[in-house]
Amino acid sequence: MTKRALSLTEFIDLPQDVQFDVLHKHGVYVGKRKIDEKTAVLFQLHGFYVEVFYKQYRKLIESISTSASTEILLPYLDQISIKGFNEGKKEK
Amino acid sequence: MTQSLPPKSLVLYADDDPEDIELISEAFLSYSQNIELMTFPDGVELLNFIESIDPFHASPCLFILDINMPRLNGKETLQRLRTIESFIDVPAVLFSTSSLPADAVFAQSFNAGFVTKPLHTNQVYVIVDQIIEHCSEDVKKNIRGRRNNGNG
Repeated sequence: MTKRALSLTEFIDLPQDVQFDVLHKHGVYVGKRKIDEKTAVLFQLHGFYVEVFYKQYRKLIESISTSASTEILLPYLDQISIKGFNEGKKEK
Repeated sequence: MTQSLPPKSLVLYADDDPEDIELISEAFLSYSQNIELMTFPDGVELLNFIESIDPFHASPCLFILDINMPRLNGKETLQRLRTIESFIDVPAVLFSTSSLPADAVFAQSFNAGFVTKPLHTNQVYVIVDQIIEHCSEDVKKNIRGRRNNGNG
């Protein structure tokens, strides 16, 4: 079977536990930021972005949001290395 | 009569993210009968420590290296560890939030494992078990032995 990249719509339609599984297996870390007491982590997944909002970092997920727009990168720009971005990756 | 317990296995973990250190340290508490986890903010500190280990201190049985760290990242630290004769064969794991196949290939080329950081609580203990799986058979046997004896 050929592996095919998920589209944003297909990702949104997945059950939440499957979304987390896909994100864990294939997500590429972009950055992490604090919003008051909460933590948000942005991943690139295939051709779109997934932002995970934690009540407790890496423990309790409050919500996720998805976007195909690069505007979601704005709060993370200071963490994106140009070298890594050009190579299509950012590691953490 | 004094009977001393066998020394704990020493696991060295380098990560610049204090929250990740806290999370993994918490998860390793369930192995605290068997494993001593030492943490470092980057690869330089970890390498400084292993250079200063005295012969009476337990040798590291596993290295956990976050990939993206200041000063000396996980890949560079792994490369340097593999040039030190006493650590050429010590199990190591590159630890990352990203799941990049290139990183897994890099880890493999230095005889190391690759584990993706947990996304949420349900994955934390599974991932720590995955990390422990990279320990030598002797270390794993010791852990299981103590657990079976009701000590862990």
